[in-house]
Amino acid sequence: MFNKILIANRGEIALRVIRACREMGIGSVAVHSTADADAMHVRMADESVCIGPAPSPLSYLNFPAIISACEITGAQAIHPGYGFLSENAQFVQVVEDHGLTFIGPTAQHIRTMGDKITAKDTMKALGVPCVPGSPGGVDTVEDALKIGDEFGYPVIIKATAGGGGKGMKVANSADEMKSAFQTARAEGKSNFGNPEVYIEKYLTTPRHIEIQVFGDGKGKAVHLGERDCSLQRRHQKVFEEAPGPSITPEERAKIGKVCADACANINYIGAGTIEFLYENGEFYFIEMNTRLQVEHPVTEAIFDQDLVREQIRVAAGLPLSFTQDDLKIRGHAIEVRINAEKLPNFSPCPGRITQFHAPGGLGVRMDSALYDGYSIPPYYDSLIGKLIVHGRDRPEALARLARALGELIVDGVDTTIPLFHALLKEDAVLTGDYNIHWLEHWLETNLT
Amino acid sequence: MTKTTPQDSARDSDVSFIKALAELLRENDLTELQVKRDYGENDSLNVRVSRNPPAQVVTQMAQAAPAQTMAAPAPAASIAPEASADPASLPGAVTSPMVGTVYMSPEPDVAAFVKVGDKVSEGDTLLIIEAMKTMNHIPAPKSGTVKRLLVEDGAPVEFGAPLMIVE
Repeated sequence: MFNKILIANRGEIALRVIRACREMGIGSVAVHSTADADAMHVRMADESVCIGPAPSPLSYLNFPAIISACEITGAQAIHPGYGFLSENAQFVQVVEDHGLTFIGPTAQHIRTMGDKITAKDTMKALGVPCVPGSPGGVDTVEDALKIGDEFGYPVIIKATAGGGGKGMKVANSADEMKSAFQTARAEGKSNFGNPEVYIEKYLTTPRHIEIQVFGDGKGKAVHLGERDCSLQRRHQKVFEEAPGPSITPEERAKIGKVCADACANINYIGAGTIEFLYENGEFYFIEMNTRLQVEHPVTEAIFDQDLVREQIRVAAGLPLSFTQDDLKIRGHAIEVRINAEKLPNFSPCPGRITQFHAPGGLGVRMDSALYDGYSIPPYYDSLIGKLIVHGRDRPEALARLARALGELIVDGVDTTIPLFHALLKEDAVLTGDYNIHWLEHWLETNLT
Repeated sequence: MTKTTPQDSARDSDVSFIKALAELLRENDLTELQVKRDYGENDSLNVRVSRNPPAQVVTQMAQAAPAQTMAAPAPAASIAPEASADPASLPGAVTSPMVGTVYMSPEPDVAAFVKVGDKVSEGDTLLIIEAMKTMNHIPAPKSGTVKRLLVEDGAPVEFGAPLMIVE
């Protein structure tokens, strides 16, 4: 087992990893930019190293600084958190070249899943259902129109090198195809340096259902059920729950097994999430994230497992702590992401926290790096905390969430807390009958 | 609707101004602000806003702790460092541009690049920082005299760590 782990991240996820390290008796090294000198993750870790000035490319994305920080502290492994370098195959290579352990998948798996077309091909070959679409890139308008006829409109044209919800255009009919196709190619070129596009059937009211998988790197893998993350604004999740309100135990077992087997087949190591669009009982693969996700706590709650601890264990060569049969769902969990953003425009609102009070009580978990007097720097993302609740069933989880939100105090900056108070009054949220377009429509009519 | 007189408007804007000062005081944790504004001959506004400083964190054991929100694990006191206590903020401070290990000499068992009292020119090597097996020569940012050495041979340094004072 490692003696010391360096956490190449900041904010709430850095705390998350430090907490797991502390419980396992492993020394923790926090790295930080000059802007984060007073951050909570720096205060909580056993040691800290300033790695650069505020801008991320010079600090949190700075390979040599992070490797050097391992050298001077004697850290043996690096946990990348999410975002930043967590899915950077080149970084994994550099880490391994320096005799350190990267707590995550191999560079090769990161590379395969980072390219959307290769990811889809790989998954298709492993028997994972995909959105019907072009076999590969589509080069001409004529080919595009053929694809549209074959799969039926509407279709969506996506940049191969795209991601994060960018570089996508919908064509509702053959008439719209030419312009959508050409625009998508032009945007692919200007945003990602690559005009290659592929085309998929566009699902009109799908849900975003993702399956948590875990591999030991030696051919064994399990699934930890699904999360429904359909409530999104501009392709950013704001509210996630597990289990998914629309998923039956049979569906879960079936898609879960397909995902676990796919991971076992490629000797996947560590945590991963396979994301699907789900419509009319059918699952359609969209992408795989080869890292821990922001919303992992809802899965931890319903299975009573520590996923970060498990990541560290498998990276150290230990077997998985659980078999598929050990994993039984208990109750229902919901997470809301709190951002320092001013409604109704969601404009970022950095500033000084004059009062922070976290909710407590049964079934409540607050993952946040805030504290009284902390100044949120303007250089990084606006996520300032996650509130997670767990109840015996969905209605209890919803009631608990409303109660906990009422206790949560974040003064000094504007936050998105009022959004959740409002959502918890909506029938669609209370019944769970929503899809990936629901929140955007609701925001248009309710927040302007 | 009552008509506002010029005097009312003037008073309203004075009140807004004073409110803004009070807000500034509070937001920046100041204890006193004094401002004088001249609007014309024999027409000026002289305002002072002040308040008691926030209660210090009490360290006496016997008393019950004051009703303050619990700070983070380590005391959250943001004591402004006195200039002499923080070498990195002195004018001649040379700070580390990278994370690594300091070597004061070009090789082991060879004299150090500089010692206290040496005169250096801009660009002269002051010390080496090793990062990822590469030796990086750290140059003097300007000409001057080495006044203080703040690190020892073999010391690990982080970005921004004070290395020496050259004035």
